[in-house]
Parts: sequence; C-alpha cells; structure tokens
Amino acid sequence: MAELDALEHDLRELGAGLAWPATPYLRTAIRPRIVVRRPWFESRWAMAAAVAIVALAALLAYSPSRDAIANWLNLHLRLQQVPVLPSPSSLPPGPLGERLGLGDRSTVPGARAAVTWKLLLPSSLGEPDEIYVQRPPSGPPEGEVTLVYGIRPGIPTSGETGVAVLITEARGRVNSEFFGKITGPGTTIEEVSVSGHPGYWIAGTPHVFFFIDSGGNVRNETLRLATNTLLIDEGGVIVRIEGDLTKEQAFQVAQSL
Amino acid sequence: MEGRPTDDGELFARAQRGDTAAYEEIVQRYQQVAFRTAYVITGSAADAEDAAQDGFVKAYRALASFRPGAEPRPWLLRIVANEARNRVRSAGRRHHLELRLADVSRPGGAAPSPEAAAVAADDRRRLLRLVNALSDEDRLVIASRYFLELSGEETAAALGIPEGTVKSRLSRALARLRTSVEGVAGG
Repeated sequence: MAELDALEHDLRELGAGLAWPATPYLRTAIRPRIVVRRPWFESRWAMAAAVAIVALAALLAYSPSRDAIANWLNLHLRLQQVPVLPSPSSLPPGPLGERLGLGDRSTVPGARAAVTWKLLLPSSLGEPDEIYVQRPPSGPPEGEVTLVYGIRPGIPTSGETGVAVLITEARGRVNSEFFGKITGPGTTIEEVSVSGHPGYWIAGTPHVFFFIDSGGNVRNETLRLATNTLLIDEGGVIVRIEGDLTKEQAFQVAQSL
Repeated sequence: MEGRPTDDGELFARAQRGDTAAYEEIVQRYQQVAFRTAYVITGSAADAEDAAQDGFVKAYRALASFRPGAEPRPWLLRIVANEARNRVRSAGRRHHLELRLADVSRPGGAAPSPEAAAVAADDRRRLLRLVNALSDEDRLVIASRYFLELSGEETAAALGIPEGTVKSRLSRALARLRTSVEGVAGG
C-alpha cells in the first residue's frame, strides 16, 4: 500500500509538470450560440415538464410520498413558472404525428437510417401503421423514433387518437429514482425483466416519463396515451411501449422485439 | 463587495433566469478543466475544443435540470465528457493521447543540484512513458484522478461510469502501472 501511495504521489507530481495544449477562450466562442434563446416556456420539453407538474401537483394532494415530491419540486422550482398548463387529453385535431408531437413522418428504412441504434420492431404487432422521427433539438441528442399501431386484435384503441399501441425508442437510460417520485394513487410501478433486459411496468394512468438521454440530461416526456406503459432498457436504448395492454400483452410485444 | 468573486450558486441562479453574462462567467471558470478533460478523452486538442464548446452550449440549454446547490463541476464535466465521447465514437477511433512534460522547471521548493534535477526529470519522463503506454481506459482514469485532480464524483462524470466503479477501475489501473514501473526498475 505504501508503494501504491508513493506511486500516487509521483503521479500527482508528474501531473503538475505536464504540458497541456492551450485552453481555448470558450467564453467568446459560445457567446453567439447562447444569445438567441427561445423563451423556455415554448419548448416541447418545458411543456412536457408542465404536464409533469400537473401530475405531480395532483399527487401532492393525495400521495403518501408528499415530502419526497415536495422536495423534488423544490429542486426544480423553475418548472413551476409555466404560465399555461396544457392537458395531455386536449390534443388539437390534425395529422396524428403532429397532434401527438412525434416529429417528422418517416418509413422503416428512413427511421433506420436516421438513428444510431438498431431499430427494434416488434413482430407480434406486424408492420407499424405510421413511423415518426423526432430529431434534435426537439428530440434527444441521437433522435427518437415512434412507431404507431392502429387497430390490433385484442387491444383496445384510444378513443382520442385511434391508436392501440405507441412504441418509442431513444438512446438513454432510465433512472428509477424519478419513478418513486411520480408514484401516486392508481399508478403502480414494478421492476421487471424482459428477455434479460431490465425494465419497469407502470400500470395505471401515468402522464409523464423521465429518462436520462445520451447527452446526460434529464428529459421529461409526456406519455401520450396515458395508459399502461412498459419501459425496457435494451442495452442503452430505451423502448417505451404504451397502450391499453395487459401486462402479458405488453411483455408479448416486448419479447417479439 | 466590489471585487468579490460571485459564488457558483448565484451565477447558476442568474444563468437559469437567462442571464447570459452570468453563464459566460461560469464558462470562464470551468473552461480549463472542461477542455483538458475533453482532451484526455479525445486525444486531440481540436476535438477537445469542439467538444468543450458544444458541451457548454448544451449545458446552457439544459440549465433547467441543474439543481440549485448541486456541485457544478460534475454536472458540467458530465455533459462535456459525453460530447467528447460522442466525437470519439462517431469518428470510429480516438487519437492516441500523448501527454508530454513541460519544458520549464516547476517553481517552488529548494533548487536541487543539477544532478538531482536531472534524475528527477528522468524519473518523471520514465513514469510518463509508462502512463502513455497504458490502455486507453487505464490512462483515462489515472489522468482524470492525478493529472486533472478530479474528485471521485467528477471522475465518474468524466468517464460516464458510476462513482462506485471509479475506485475499482482506478485501483486496477494503478496495479497495472505499478507492475510496469517495477518491471522497468527490475529490468
């Protein structure tokens, strides 16, 4: 151990005498890139966060984890300044992708080419009816793909959207700490494993979803169908399966990816 | 209070309210550690500059997710280091990081005899050669901890690994370095 300490000491000495390349003057370099800033309440993420506040505020009234949520809210105080609180149930009419804010309409080959991971398509649902790609800055740094499935046997469709299942894929990881804080009455969260991949089964009517994108930032997203949701971490790609599915049905879809 | 440096918490609070001058001050404070961290990851000064610049712009856009009272260094380093890793990944390869010793002798301490100074310089050169010969993973954790003097949390942020993993990775890297140091001394 003494030898190790001596080595550590030598390394520190060595570090102090290293020649580093000159640090660029980043202050001026970033200036033109940060001066024009969209009002934060116009961004999609802030809107999603606003939805999160609605959900959290409701939970505050009822949840036994009131303190934990209050604590979370204090830490994210800025989010409470949202002037308009949108409701996930009052989507404007128009093309589905636009109404749900899914990004640009695409195809299977188009989506495959647009993202850096191997796009996962569940064979149990057949071909998706529509595909959307959300690119940065609206989407996460490496983009996000949403697969839309209309009428499917045995799965009820959403009355508002006509959608049975939505599958969203993005690079990132799920942070279970956030889940504990959105658990409210009527929503249960269960840690699961699907074909060896860790995941969460969220039953009830969750409205928000948090994950850490590949840029290391916490993202808040609206769960658009506000139904049961299965989240799986497929080796660094988060797959989110939303729909009025039973746990068995959701697992069947996930296992067919 | 004229001349007193504004603390990080206040700067972040102002930046979160959209004060770009406050954010520029944050950049000024952390640009060196951010750039050097990106440099040890990419092995290229040009890539490190791009990664640090993009990282600071992203961090500005993500200011809402910065918790008041949190440590800014790990938060910023995580974003910048992630940019640096993305660059290495998209290029398909990293430049070989070749750390060098500064030519000037370090200030401070009693002036050693010319012979002692020559021996010390030789020792440092030899140790640096061994560090440069380590695997990327070993060199990165050693450079983060001893050359950049990052904390455990900051090293975890720079390497994109859990803090608990830093200790074991560092201890393995040191053990391998020690073996090569002993090999050189013995051989």
